[in-house]
Amino acid sequence: MKKWASLALTCMLVMSFLAGCSGKNEPAKEEAASSGEKKTEAADEVTKFSISLRTLNFGYVEKSPDINADKWVKRVEDLTKTDMDIRLVPHKEYEQKMVQMFATNDIPDVVQGQGGTTGKEMAGSVEAGVFMPLDDLLKEYGPNLLKKIPKEAWNRMSYQGKIYGIPEWLGNPSRRATWIRKDLLDQTGLPVPKTVDEYLNVLRAFKKLGVENPYMGRQDFKYADTFFGSYDVFPYLSQFEEADGQVQPKFMDSENMMKALSTYKTMFDEGLINKEFATINPTTFKNTILAGKAGIWTMNANELIQWQTQLQDTVKDAKLEIIPSPVGPDGKGGYYLYGDVARSYFINAKYKHPEKIIQFFDWMVSDEAEQFFTYGVEGENFTKEGDKINYKQPTDAQAVDEERYRQAFLWMVQDTTYNKGSLSLTEEGKSLMSVFDNTLANEGRDGIEFDPRLEALKKNPDIAPLSDTPPPLLITHMVKMVYGQEPIDNWPKVIEEWKSKGGSDVLKEANERYQSKEGVFLPRK
Amino acid sequence: MKRKTNKDNGIWRLIWKYKALYLISIPSILYFLIFKYIPLGGSIIAFQDYNIFKGFSGSDWVGFAHFAEMFKHYDFLRILNNTVLIGLYDLIFSFPAPIILAILLNELRLVMFKRVIQTVVYMPHFLSWVVIAGMSVAILSPTTGVLNQLLVLFGIDPLYFLGDNSYIRGVLVGSGIWRDTGYGTILYLAALAGINPELYEAAQIDGANRWKQTLRITLPALLPTIMILFLLHIGKFLDFGFERVWVFLNALNTENGEILDTYIYRAGLLSQQYGYTTAVGLFKSVVGLVLVMMGNLFSRKTTGESLY
Repeated sequence: MKKWASLALTCMLVMSFLAGCSGKNEPAKEEAASSGEKKTEAADEVTKFSISLRTLNFGYVEKSPDINADKWVKRVEDLTKTDMDIRLVPHKEYEQKMVQMFATNDIPDVVQGQGGTTGKEMAGSVEAGVFMPLDDLLKEYGPNLLKKIPKEAWNRMSYQGKIYGIPEWLGNPSRRATWIRKDLLDQTGLPVPKTVDEYLNVLRAFKKLGVENPYMGRQDFKYADTFFGSYDVFPYLSQFEEADGQVQPKFMDSENMMKALSTYKTMFDEGLINKEFATINPTTFKNTILAGKAGIWTMNANELIQWQTQLQDTVKDAKLEIIPSPVGPDGKGGYYLYGDVARSYFINAKYKHPEKIIQFFDWMVSDEAEQFFTYGVEGENFTKEGDKINYKQPTDAQAVDEERYRQAFLWMVQDTTYNKGSLSLTEEGKSLMSVFDNTLANEGRDGIEFDPRLEALKKNPDIAPLSDTPPPLLITHMVKMVYGQEPIDNWPKVIEEWKSKGGSDVLKEANERYQSKEGVFLPRK
Repeated sequence: MKRKTNKDNGIWRLIWKYKALYLISIPSILYFLIFKYIPLGGSIIAFQDYNIFKGFSGSDWVGFAHFAEMFKHYDFLRILNNTVLIGLYDLIFSFPAPIILAILLNELRLVMFKRVIQTVVYMPHFLSWVVIAGMSVAILSPTTGVLNQLLVLFGIDPLYFLGDNSYIRGVLVGSGIWRDTGYGTILYLAALAGINPELYEAAQIDGANRWKQTLRITLPALLPTIMILFLLHIGKFLDFGFERVWVFLNALNTENGEILDTYIYRAGLLSQQYGYTTAVGLFKSVVGLVLVMMGNLFSRKTTGESLY
């Protein structure tokens, strides 16, 4: 028995060693084969390159067994005479995986960033010279890119005066919106609210109607920050302002901050916001809303049609609408503005034919590309009558997934505000476009932003805000104040605490940078 | 030549004698070398201003600056305090739990019943912390949670367990007990199965009741296992685990809930200060090592059981 077991074990070991060895041999063989291929390909002029793409949580991408064998990828390759080797980066661990990629020096020919040259996910790679400057190449091979992409977006892709990446830009950076259950509002008989007080009245009326969460709260005020916008005190990364000749974060405007906090406290005390909002996570947030238990909340406007459909599954008469956000004392309101760049593409400095990559992206902004990504392939997904395009929008979940993947994932360089071609096909789509152009374009809060990030902010994560979350130190106090565990009058003390824990250095550095105008982006609105 | 070394050198002869054992231990030796000992060298970046593009040969040396910064940090004492307290609670409450459960299970005479109970108590171990946190939020919720409704039955006001600094440590340790106690009984049950039944028979004849038998036979028989597991537990004293804490933290309970691991995550991965966080991690490991050595010494002196 013993002998038999040890024999079996030894055999297994030997086999696993052999397997290991043969495994090692394979890539070598492949390489040899691919180098052979390269020679023949040079004749056909197919450009081969590897590219890293974030999965963006797209079901179609994450479920795909092999994205490189996907039919739409193949079609893009045919149209552009390329052969892409797509390396997917998981959405959730994007930053970590990117840093890992740089640390192991396994960098693809084209790397996708999430906007900006010095973001955290880039891990200092642009400064380290991993990617090539593109100005001359763009002039020669990317005329359409230069023409179509706005200057603000290019500015974001510049480092020390040189362009390092090609941006997928956002024409309208005001994306988040105030949503309301219009059917409930009609029941109350109240008009569409405008000011903070009118909003509170509507919330109270919702409460009377028996709505469980008149205003839908969420952990850390994420997507629940409507009233900080009314008072223009978002404690976020891009929200610095000039006050008395000094640059400072907007939350240092104590007067308005305390007003905003009082608004939330009122809502908390009167039960207009869930008493447990400090522990409500994104999933609970969405499920509660889709179960018809919320009246007003914040979400990205582009999700409107999808949520409307899902909500109607549970509440038949539900009607969602996006309304102008509550305005504060200065007559303005809205949410923080997104950056001008949604995704961006950097070319590895070691790549031999960067001009081909530029041409590839230049094609992305062509009319041919727009038609392809929006409607798909003629004869298969749409038909043409003269100039008119007959495109049937998919209805079943799987096909919707596929359409979204084609329009938003594969179409790498475009204005991602909304897909015009597809929205203009339906009434709902048209009204959504008008929400973007008429409601959202007129609101939103922007501030002075520093890119690259201030060094002093890197030192202490407790005092550093993220793009849409306040610094942890502030969140703690903000939540406690709303819960009544700390008086709101304490806010000036909170600011002092923030300063003493490293904030003073932040202020000092911000002002120095502001004076020297290095990497400073001024408010767009 | 070869024969001569074999004869001269005791070690080689020993190896030759047990060659099969040595052969099958090669993979695990390689595993430890490659995945445990070589990465240990990476701790070097605790003394550097580490830049991933320069690597540790090109990054600047900063000596003990990161350690100094750590001890100077205004929150360091609070976070260390949390870590030690939570670790201590874990030691006091979680560690004995599987022992007690195993002894209780051992007293069950109906085999089928025992099997079913075992399976049920093992189960939670296979849930991820994210799932457990989700369940806890539901169970502990002041308005809809089961636990609070129970409290209301007894006339106690509902408590916002996850939104209060004073409960978070209890929730953290408690959820750990719920998750891992059953699984932790495996080793103890195995040890219990090894006790010679004749001992119990003899004790019964001498007139010992169940409780006396447990005290005089079961516990002493378990002691070596308990001691070894205790020492292993001590080694991980500051290692409460990142995920299980991270999923429970929110703005209202960070003050008492934040531990070194979650701080390392925030400062290291979210702010990309690799050198600094490696220093914090190294500090944690050194404390763990010292604790294990002390515990081992103590255990050898008192019970004669030890890890090495």
